[in-house]
Amino acid sequence: MVVGGGVSGMRAALDLAETGYHVTLIEEKSHIGGVVSQLDHQFPTDGCGICKMLPHADAEHVLQQCVRRGLSHENIIIHLQTRVMSVSGEHGNFTVTLQQHPNPVDPDRCIGCGLCIPVCPVDVADPFNAGKVACKAIGPPTPHMAAGPYRIDTETCTQCGKCRDVCPTDAIRLPAEDRKSFTILVVDDEQIIRDSLSEWLGEEGGFSVITAESGEKALERIEEQPVDLMLADIKMPGMDGITLLEKALEIQEQMAVMMITAYATVDTAVSAMKQGAADYLVKPFDPDDLLPKIAAMYHELTIPPGPEIRVGAIVIAGGTDEYNPASGKNPFGYKIIEDVVTGPEFERMLSPVGPTGGRLVRLSDQRPLRRIAWVMCVGSRDIQAEADYCSGVCCMYSLKQARLAQKAAREQGAEIETVLYYMDMRTFGKSGQQYRDAAEAEGAVCKRSRVHSIVGEETTGDLCIRAADPSGQINEDRYDLAVLATGQRPSAKVAELAEMLGIELDPRGFINTREFSLTRTSGNGVLAAGSCTGRKDISDAIICGSSAAFHASRLLHAGGGSLREQPAPPETTADIFHEPPRVFTAVCGCSGAVSGIFDPEAFSGKCYGDPSLCSVETADWLCTEEGIAELTENIRQSVANRVVIGACRPLCAPEKKKAIARAVSLLPELIEIVDLRSRVPAASEESPEQQKTDTRETMNIWLEMAISRVKLADPAFAPEISTGRSVLVVGGGIAGMTAALGVADHGYGAYLVEKADRLGGNLNWLNQTIEGDDIAQLSEYTRSRVENHPMITIYTNTRVSETRGTGGAFTTTLQTGNEAGFSVNHGAVILATGGGQAETESFGRGTDSRIITQQELESRIRENDLDPEKINSMCMILCAGTRQPPKNYCSRICCASALKHALHVKEKNPEAGVYVLYRDMMAYGFLEAWFTRARKAGVIFIAYTPETSPEVSAQQDAVRIRATEPVLQQEVEISADLLVLATGIEPAECGSLARSFGADTDEHGFFREAEPKWQPVGSLAPGVYACGIGLRPASIAESVASAEAAAQQAVILLGRDHLPAPKSIARVRHSLCSLCQNCIAACAYGARTYDRQAQMIIVDPEACRGCGACASACPNFAAYVEGFAPGQMLSILEAAADN
Amino acid sequence: MSRTADINIKDNHIGETIGQFLKKILESDEVAAVLTPHRPAEKDMIMPRFITDPEHLQGAEPLSPAFAVNSARLVSRLTRQSPGGTIAALLRPCEIRAFVELVKLNQGSTENLIIIGTDCPGALQNADFFAFAEKHGDKATARFLETAFSDDQASAEDLQIAPACRACTQPTPEGADLAIGLFGLQPGPKIQVYAQTERGEVLLEKLGLEEAQADEKHQSAAEDLISRRSQARQEMIEQTRAATDTMEKLADYFSRCINCYNCRTACPVCYCRECVFATDVFDHEPVQYMKWAGRRGSVKMPTDTLFFHLTRMAHISTACVGCGQCANVCPSNIPLAELFISVAEQTQSAFSYQAGKSIDEQPPLAVFQEDEFQEIVGIENGS
Repeated sequence: MVVGGGVSGMRAALDLAETGYHVTLIEEKSHIGGVVSQLDHQFPTDGCGICKMLPHADAEHVLQQCVRRGLSHENIIIHLQTRVMSVSGEHGNFTVTLQQHPNPVDPDRCIGCGLCIPVCPVDVADPFNAGKVACKAIGPPTPHMAAGPYRIDTETCTQCGKCRDVCPTDAIRLPAEDRKSFTILVVDDEQIIRDSLSEWLGEEGGFSVITAESGEKALERIEEQPVDLMLADIKMPGMDGITLLEKALEIQEQMAVMMITAYATVDTAVSAMKQGAADYLVKPFDPDDLLPKIAAMYHELTIPPGPEIRVGAIVIAGGTDEYNPASGKNPFGYKIIEDVVTGPEFERMLSPVGPTGGRLVRLSDQRPLRRIAWVMCVGSRDIQAEADYCSGVCCMYSLKQARLAQKAAREQGAEIETVLYYMDMRTFGKSGQQYRDAAEAEGAVCKRSRVHSIVGEETTGDLCIRAADPSGQINEDRYDLAVLATGQRPSAKVAELAEMLGIELDPRGFINTREFSLTRTSGNGVLAAGSCTGRKDISDAIICGSSAAFHASRLLHAGGGSLREQPAPPETTADIFHEPPRVFTAVCGCSGAVSGIFDPEAFSGKCYGDPSLCSVETADWLCTEEGIAELTENIRQSVANRVVIGACRPLCAPEKKKAIARAVSLLPELIEIVDLRSRVPAASEESPEQQKTDTRETMNIWLEMAISRVKLADPAFAPEISTGRSVLVVGGGIAGMTAALGVADHGYGAYLVEKADRLGGNLNWLNQTIEGDDIAQLSEYTRSRVENHPMITIYTNTRVSETRGTGGAFTTTLQTGNEAGFSVNHGAVILATGGGQAETESFGRGTDSRIITQQELESRIRENDLDPEKINSMCMILCAGTRQPPKNYCSRICCASALKHALHVKEKNPEAGVYVLYRDMMAYGFLEAWFTRARKAGVIFIAYTPETSPEVSAQQDAVRIRATEPVLQQEVEISADLLVLATGIEPAECGSLARSFGADTDEHGFFREAEPKWQPVGSLAPGVYACGIGLRPASIAESVASAEAAAQQAVILLGRDHLPAPKSIARVRHSLCSLCQNCIAACAYGARTYDRQAQMIIVDPEACRGCGACASACPNFAAYVEGFAPGQMLSILEAAADN
Repeated sequence: MSRTADINIKDNHIGETIGQFLKKILESDEVAAVLTPHRPAEKDMIMPRFITDPEHLQGAEPLSPAFAVNSARLVSRLTRQSPGGTIAALLRPCEIRAFVELVKLNQGSTENLIIIGTDCPGALQNADFFAFAEKHGDKATARFLETAFSDDQASAEDLQIAPACRACTQPTPEGADLAIGLFGLQPGPKIQVYAQTERGEVLLEKLGLEEAQADEKHQSAAEDLISRRSQARQEMIEQTRAATDTMEKLADYFSRCINCYNCRTACPVCYCRECVFATDVFDHEPVQYMKWAGRRGSVKMPTDTLFFHLTRMAHISTACVGCGQCANVCPSNIPLAELFISVAEQTQSAFSYQAGKSIDEQPPLAVFQEDEFQEIVGIENGS
């Protein structure tokens, strides 16, 4: 079971489903996609790429479409609007009780016609558009799902029934709610509160309301009659709310209690929740907020539990909450000034389906935006806001938003100022620094300043931002809009789930993971993916999703995989290869909506007795089981070997098509289902007859197109690919060892190749992590597991000398020392070639033995070769040679190791002067706390920029470092006993190795991912994966996670040993081929090669994505895509154009 | 400055002089065979001939007024794999350009090839050549060259050279290893040979011809001719556009087409092994004709004529070198060269590409540029 349908949860679910397990994915909201569904643009490409996470091979299992519209996989059951009620059992065998909020709209019947939306009397602030637009209580959950199915917001729905009356497909079943029998007891000493609550809840809400003016009276009421929900004021004369809560629960244990509180006693209300209160309401009330909250509570209490499911492992991917600035000590004008918005809200303003339609205008007065300010770290890195942590993603999304705003302005020919107020610009991702450079080049201004306040000006509506620069000087600037880059907060719902599962949270309230793991929680069989362990960007969330899936998969495998879905026996389909096409066409009458317009006889007539058309009929109620059964029976009785069905959208789902295909013993490719229902427009007053004729024409065109497609569809069975049973892992560091173990634990062989004479890589010199986790122990443990694993063969002192083959079947020659080479066969390869510390010539490196690197310092600490007591003064320079061309990337780990070492010295010898010269402290996520601790311990941090780079001179008595101190704005000189340079990570040279497997490296020598965000461990070449710091700079835990993700991808590939290859792949008709090789140039996936010996163009079916670029580059269709044969396509176009 | 040599003209006969030059090349050790236009004794047709015996060069017509076939395709057939010896091919500039396109499409190779190109005054269309040959008999070629290189512009232009040639702005043999210069030197006592590649240098050196200075008159005469041709080309393009600027006019333009596919066969860059129009894709079921007619009441037969030409245009307009062979072979006299040259001009300028110009430049469809034609593909940079 995966809890949470954001990208990390989806990745985990897809990986497990592709591995062959059955997955239940539950999501509280009415749509999947999580936060990402609200982002139209994701850096570094600034486009949306969520569909790139879909598996490719065996693509027929997945609805290949926009993931923001929904996800469909035959091994995944998705429960929306569902939460976990209780969990019992243990790892390998959990029993989970869910509670599923009923959706009054039947998803199998809703056709997204939109008739219900205008009749709905309820206006709600659309949560998808961050509440900035009004929508109705019924409608699509996100704008991308306009085609349905719709959902009803039952908390605001008044059950008026108007939508039900207009629904043409009878899809709406409003629940029979018996609110009258739900008794709410309102306890407050103020008459006015009692009266107004009685009125709202009783008359508008429809509940039974009783009241009491004191705690004592309330207890009397409770003795008299059962109460379902009590609303109790905290501050009352006599018995206070807290005491009442305790006593009331003694009388009626099952009763739900919500505390009523003034703003001043919110803290008390929060602590009341620990004593059994379900929630609290803050006075004064807004009935528009209050009623939905009570309705939600009503539903939670009254919706019966179910279904109950049995699962082997649980992946929590519940995400985080968003900090609400209005609740903080400094709200920066949020919710007071309309033009102060949060980052997620601004994200919607950039969207074409957002509140401003993507135009850059102010919400308050529609004035074009010309000056926008971003305020970073709102609710993050703020001890006052109890957030001694960084939220990880806000710097990058703010830079992205500034770029998008610049771009939108450029398109309008306007000038726009985009200013980012920041503390440290944390661009620690692989291409983050380059992205920042590009944003700055395009006009984003990054100002290192702390924002003090935002004030709105009454006449102009301008915002005045007061901010202090590093020297303490206060500056004032005017803007049209301020965007608050709000931070993360632990999710209360995740905490609730964690408690249910008995897993540990960290002191901040996020899920705690075990040492060196990003996904293993303290509970066996319970994994955490994505932001619930601290906010992740997309690529990290995807890696964590795969890593969590990996652990779940390994656990299920170790348990014998008893819950693994056994592949269904191959479907027996009729062999119709030698028959001429005979198409059975059926059109569903759709309760009269279609049957009144479509005329089967006229349609047959239009086809001029086409001999391949064996039957044109109308059918009824294809939305029901009975309707389908009758239809499939009719098809079986006929001589047809192709089927076209005209119906409505729900029937077009791939699983329905597959079911029909099974019932009539035909390949799904020979069946086409067309959505005719949505072609019927709303009835027109003006010329109904003309409209009817037009609609009939349209239907005929769609049907003819479908007939053309199936008529010429290829009835051949899909080809199969067979894959090797083992994986080659190159590199024996922690990533390589983890990957090899991961594959081997799944029962596949692993060849682990290491060029050095022993395994371990960088672990061999590392001492401990900043958290104090023992690296030597990890190294020993992992190495002994690898060495003793029966499925792993280790080759040390060995290199890869050459390789042949392709994804699924490689043959690679290895060479140990100077001995003769030998070959191994393997289905996949994982490159864990790692990297090491970069060298630099700057800052006097190499001129003096007192100028060392972080690695040398770490080794000296490990060897007990450094006595902190003897250090008078130590200086560190960070980003020595990195984050500027040619090594223009952040190495991600050096700030943490600098903090680790600075604290080590400072805490052992508080007298020592420790100076850290930095550009931006990349103390991302929870590392922030160590930054705070270092400052408290007296480590002195001095920021520099590439322009004010420190100067180093080694002298007899000390190494002298001159730098400009930004606070004092003066030059300072530090005399240090030791100067430690953080020179960053440099990947091991693996370009030619990657290329020999058909993959590649980027300009800095790191492995080039297939897609940096959505496929972060794969390459465009099938069966080639990468992990560890050869992939990108990473901490040990991050390297482990990427190794687990890579191992899982390899396991998925190997698991498909005898499954059919995807059918929609390109082919070559050799007799027509002139060998011009245009198709090879056109193929972006490297799937085509020219075999010189055979003089033929060869397509690798695993690498081909069926995009059709080759077919369009080929002048005579010698290259074509299966399922899109040229004659078939022409005939479909003919049908579309010639009517 | 690349190596240049003078060749003195024997008996006032340029063709024979060049023939002798080819013989010299064939007799050297450098070359195993020569491809050249050739006129069998007592016959009226001039066709390419592949010659290994120097004696058979008797009858070579290196500056033929007839242009029955664009030899680029023949050279591609001779070179797509190793032919077992070096071939010297005497080609017109448009034949060289077409061959360069074919090399880029992997249909031929320059590896075992020496291209000898000549300045080209143009050629007669087949029908005109037959009449011309009839009238002048044995003297036809001499007469043609005399007029073509005449100082008297009016009489040179009287010669009815093909429309494609009249609009040709690349009459000098760019891309040849050895270029034979005629413009500005004829009429006169000599012609010049220029080595344009390293391979040409080596060959010219081995032939032992004395080095000479390049005659400036050649360059300036070529430039004059090109500027006159450019003007004619612009006029032709404008007229053609006016005649085809609506779908209806375009259909009229092709209304005489009989689907003989001669233009496709004659086109040097139409390189498919089998044309898609000859495959089952266009093998319509009879009921399809019934549907077509049924929907509008009637349908013009044969069908797919306009479709055929538009498809060909889509396929070859980036590679069209303007040789005019399509028009040369059309039995219905459709002015194909004019239209294809006009369309190719537009397509190639859109991609800043010139067909046949450089062997190293990738064909536009083999190159993907993200920022290209954003307004058409709807993809913006970086998204």
